[in-house]
Amino acid sequence: MYLGLDVGGTHTDAVLIDNNKIVASFKAPTDHKNLLTSINRALAEVTKSVDRSAIKRINLSTTLSTNAIVENKTEQVGVIISGGPGIDPGSFRLGDFFYVIPGSIDHRGTLIKDLESAGVKAAVEECAGNNVRVYALVTKFSTRNPGEEEYLAEKVGGQADFVSLGHRLSGQLNFPRRVGTAYFNSAVWRLYNLFCDAINASLKELGIDTQVNVLKADGGTMPLSLSRELPVETILSGPAASIMGIISLCDITDDSIILDIGGTTTDIAIFASGAPLVERQGISFASVPTLVRSLLARSIGIGGDSRISVQSGKVTVGPMREGPSMAEGGPVITLVDALNYNGTISYGNTAASKKGVDEAAKKAGMKADVLVKASIEFAVGFITDQVNAMLAEINDKPVYTIHEMLENRAIVPEKVYLMGGPAQGFARYLHASFNKEVIIPREYAVANAIGAALAKPTFQVELFADTSKGQLIIPNLNIREKVAGDYTVDQAEDEARSYLVDYCKRMGIQSSVKDIEIIESSSFKMVQGYFSTGRDIRVKCQIKPGVEGGIA
Amino acid sequence: MIKAKNRMGLIFFPAFDWAIDPSHPEREERLLYTQDQLWEEGIFDIEGIHEFKPDIATEEDVMRTHFCFPDVKTVTTESHMISAGGAIKAARIVMDGEVDKAFALVRPPGHHAMKSVHGNRGFCNINNEAIMVEYIREKYGTKKIAIVDTDCHHGDGTQDVYWHDPNILYISIHQDGRTLYPGSGHVPELGGPCARGKTINIPLPPGTSDEGFLYAIDNIVLPILADFKPELIINSAGQDNHYTDPITNMNFSAQGYAILNEKLNPDIAVLEGGYSIQGALPYVNLGIVLAMAGVDYSMVREPDYNYEALRQDRNISGYIEKVADAVLDAYRNPPKDKNAAKYGDYNVRKKQIYYDTDGIRESQIESVMACKKCPGVMHIESSSSANPLSFGIEIPFGACKSCRDEGLRVFRDAKDSGKYRTIHFINRFDKEYIRV
Repeated sequence: MYLGLDVGGTHTDAVLIDNNKIVASFKAPTDHKNLLTSINRALAEVTKSVDRSAIKRINLSTTLSTNAIVENKTEQVGVIISGGPGIDPGSFRLGDFFYVIPGSIDHRGTLIKDLESAGVKAAVEECAGNNVRVYALVTKFSTRNPGEEEYLAEKVGGQADFVSLGHRLSGQLNFPRRVGTAYFNSAVWRLYNLFCDAINASLKELGIDTQVNVLKADGGTMPLSLSRELPVETILSGPAASIMGIISLCDITDDSIILDIGGTTTDIAIFASGAPLVERQGISFASVPTLVRSLLARSIGIGGDSRISVQSGKVTVGPMREGPSMAEGGPVITLVDALNYNGTISYGNTAASKKGVDEAAKKAGMKADVLVKASIEFAVGFITDQVNAMLAEINDKPVYTIHEMLENRAIVPEKVYLMGGPAQGFARYLHASFNKEVIIPREYAVANAIGAALAKPTFQVELFADTSKGQLIIPNLNIREKVAGDYTVDQAEDEARSYLVDYCKRMGIQSSVKDIEIIESSSFKMVQGYFSTGRDIRVKCQIKPGVEGGIA
Repeated sequence: MIKAKNRMGLIFFPAFDWAIDPSHPEREERLLYTQDQLWEEGIFDIEGIHEFKPDIATEEDVMRTHFCFPDVKTVTTESHMISAGGAIKAARIVMDGEVDKAFALVRPPGHHAMKSVHGNRGFCNINNEAIMVEYIREKYGTKKIAIVDTDCHHGDGTQDVYWHDPNILYISIHQDGRTLYPGSGHVPELGGPCARGKTINIPLPPGTSDEGFLYAIDNIVLPILADFKPELIINSAGQDNHYTDPITNMNFSAQGYAILNEKLNPDIAVLEGGYSIQGALPYVNLGIVLAMAGVDYSMVREPDYNYEALRQDRNISGYIEKVADAVLDAYRNPPKDKNAAKYGDYNVRKKQIYYDTDGIRESQIESVMACKKCPGVMHIESSSSANPLSFGIEIPFGACKSCRDEGLRVFRDAKDSGKYRTIHFINRFDKEYIRV
C-alpha cells in the first residue's frame, strides 16, 4: 500500500492506494496554524481501517517551507558571497546579514583572485556577534570551482549549525539564483528539521514504520532524511502533486493541456508527448528566482470562487476572491453561481445563486442570462488566452544549435485534461473554446494526493570536464576527479550515470535504470591560438519524473 | 530583483554545431564562454531582458539584398540563414515595439559580404545587417538608417552594399587598413557620386585604447549622427578591438565597449567578429547587454585588465585628433567626384574582389544611374573563378518611375542577350526578386 498526503493551501488530502486501487481517502480543511495537526489527523483517518504495517511507503507534499517563507517565519541567515567581475552582487541582497567579499573565479573555474580573508573574518565575526547560526555561502562560478565556497565553510566553522554551499544545491550556472536557493535552504532548515522530527514521532505513535519521502516541485520525491539537508527542494510542490495525479489517473501520451481549476486560481500545465515540461532554470519564489527544479506550471487568477464584476456594462471575472460562492453562503456572485444559474452545475444552495445573480443583473441593468453568459465567456476566454500565450512561449523557446533550430517540433496539444472542484461546470465551455477533446478523470477531487502517493524519485547531476586542466567535477555530489587528456563524452555520460546510480543507492532513493536519462550532452574542442588544447565536456543526467503504476 | 531601464531583447544563437573548420576562429566554441558568463550572471532574470529565438531568413530576404551567384543555396548554409534571421528577429521585436532595444548575438558574421556574393570572404557569406536593413525598409518603410560598425576590421561588405545609397549612413570605425585585413576603409572613401558623405571611415592606429575609441565616438560619430538624424541606429558590433584579440592590434576593453554602447545608444546591435573567446567575449558581451538594457555595468572588467598597461600613447591621441578633423571635414564638405556622370547617365566602376576564405577571384563592372529623384537603378556584370559571366540588376528601394522602367528594360535586354549564366533581378519598386 502506498500512502499519499498533500497538505495544500485550502485542503489536506490523503489517499491510500493498493494494487492500483484507492482503498481509502480523506479530505479536510488545512489548519494553517498547525500543519502537524492536519497531517496527523489525515494520517490517522486514512489508515484507520487498514493494517498499518502493510504501508510500503508514504509520500508527503507539504506547504511547510513555503508558508514559513511567505509568512516570514524563517531564521536569520548569514549570506556571504563573492561575485568578481560582472553585475554588482549587492543587487542580490537577501536578509540583514549580507556580505560581499572581494575575490573571483572565471568561467573556466580558474581562481583569479583569492577571497579577501579580512572581509571574511569581519563578516563571520559580525554574524557570530548577532547569534546567526545558519549560513548561505556562494561564489560566482562555484559549480566550476567550489574551492572558495569550501574555504568560506571552513572559516564559518563551528559557529554554524548549518551551512548551504551553493554548488551542492545545483550544477547549473546562475549565480543570483544560487544565492537565492542557498538563502532559502538555510532560512527554513531549522523549522523544517523540527517538522521532520515531529512527523517521525507521529508515525511512530501511529505504529507506521515505513519509508517516508517528500514531494518536490519537479514532481519527484526524495527521502525525508535527505530532505533535511535540502529543505528548499520542498517548496511549491502543490501544483506538481496535481500534475503527477493526472498522470496517475489518465494514460496521457499526446501533447496536452492540463487545467486544474480551483477556488481562487487555475493552474495550467503543458505536456509534450505525454511528459510534463520542466521549468528551464528553476522556480521563482517570493519574487526571488531559484535553481529549484520545477514542473512548468502557471497559475492564473480565475477559479470557481472568482468574483464577477460589472463596470459600465463590461463583465469581468477575478482575479479577486471575496469568499466562497453565494451557493456556499458567500457575499458576492462568483463563477460557480453563474454556472448554477444556467443549470450547468447544481452545487450547494442553487436558489441563493439564482437570487444573487438576479440581483446583480438588476443592479447592473442587464438581463441575468446575459450577465451569466458574459461572465462564463470572460473566464473561459481568459483561460484560453493564457494557455495559448504559454504555448507560444514554449514553442518559441530559444535553442542553440542549427540541428535543434531545424528539427524542433512545435507542441500542438490535442486534448485538454481538466480537474479541480469546478471542473465539471467548465467542461463544455472549454471544449467549445479550445475545440479539443476535454477529459475529466474520475477521482479528480483527490488527484493531488494520488499524485503524491505514486510519484517516483527524481534526481539530477551535471558533470563538467575540462581535459586541458585534466579535471572533472559533479558539483552537487561533491565529486572532483582527475581525467586523462583523451577522456571522451561517452565516458562522461557513463560516469554521470554511474555516479547518479551510486548516490541513489547510498541515499535510499529507489529508481530503476530505465528512468535514468542523459538530457544534455556536449563536447567542444578547445583551441588556443591554432592548437587544440583539450575538450570541454558537459553532461546532464537525470532520473525523470514519473509515477509508479496508476489508478485502474 | 534588478530592473532594466530599457526593455531589451537578446537573440542568442551560438550555432554550437557549426564551424568554418575545426580550428578556425569562427568555430563551435566561439560563444560558449559568453553563454556561460551570461547564464552565470542571471541576465535573463533581470526584469525587462528577454531572450528570443531567431527567425530563419528566407531566400527572398537574401535575394532582396544580394546578388548571389549562382544562387542563394550555393553560397549559404543553414547557419547563415539563421544568423541573418537572428538579425531580422531583432529588427522585428524593436519595430513592433515588443522591446526598446535588441542585440542579435549570432554567428556567423556578415559585414565583409558585399552586394554580389560568390562565396565566403572574411568569414562572411551574406551580410546580416544589410539583410536586416532591407527587411526593415520593405516591411516598415523606415527611410533614414545609420549603421555604425565598431568591428576592428573595416566593414567593406556593408560599405559596398550602401555605397550609392544616400539614405543609409554607414560609419565604420576600425584599425587602419594599412595594418589589417581587408586593407580598405580610408578617410577619402566617402560613398558614390550621389551619396557622398554617407559612407564615413574612421581608421584608428594600432594601439588605440578606450580613450581613443571614445574620443572618436564623442567627436566624430555622435556629431555626424546628430546631423544625419537617422530614424534608427544599428551597431554592427564586432568585438575584436579588444586588447586580447588574437588577430588584431587594438587596446579596447569591456568597459570601453559598454561605455561606447551607452553613448551610441543603438536601437539594434548585431554581433560581428571578435575571436578572443575566453578573455574578451564573455565580458564584452556582458558589458554591451547591460549597457543597452540600461543596467549598471561598472563592475564588468576582464580578470587581467590593467589600466596602466593599456594606456594610450600620447602620439596616438594626437594622431586620432587629426583623423577626427579630417573625417569631419570630409563629411561636411565631401570633395566632388571629378569623374561623376551627369544626371541620366551611368556612373561606372570596375572592381576586383578577392574571397580570402574560399580563394575566389571576382571581376565586376558596376553601373549606377545618376538620378536626381532616387538612389538610381544599378547593375553589376560579374564573373569569378567560381562562376561564369553573370548579371545583377537592382531597382532600388525608393526608386523613381523612370529608374524602374530603365531597370525593367535592362533586365529584358540582359535576358535577350543570352550572355549571362545567371541573372538576378532585385525589383524593390514592385517587390519582385527573380533569378533566371
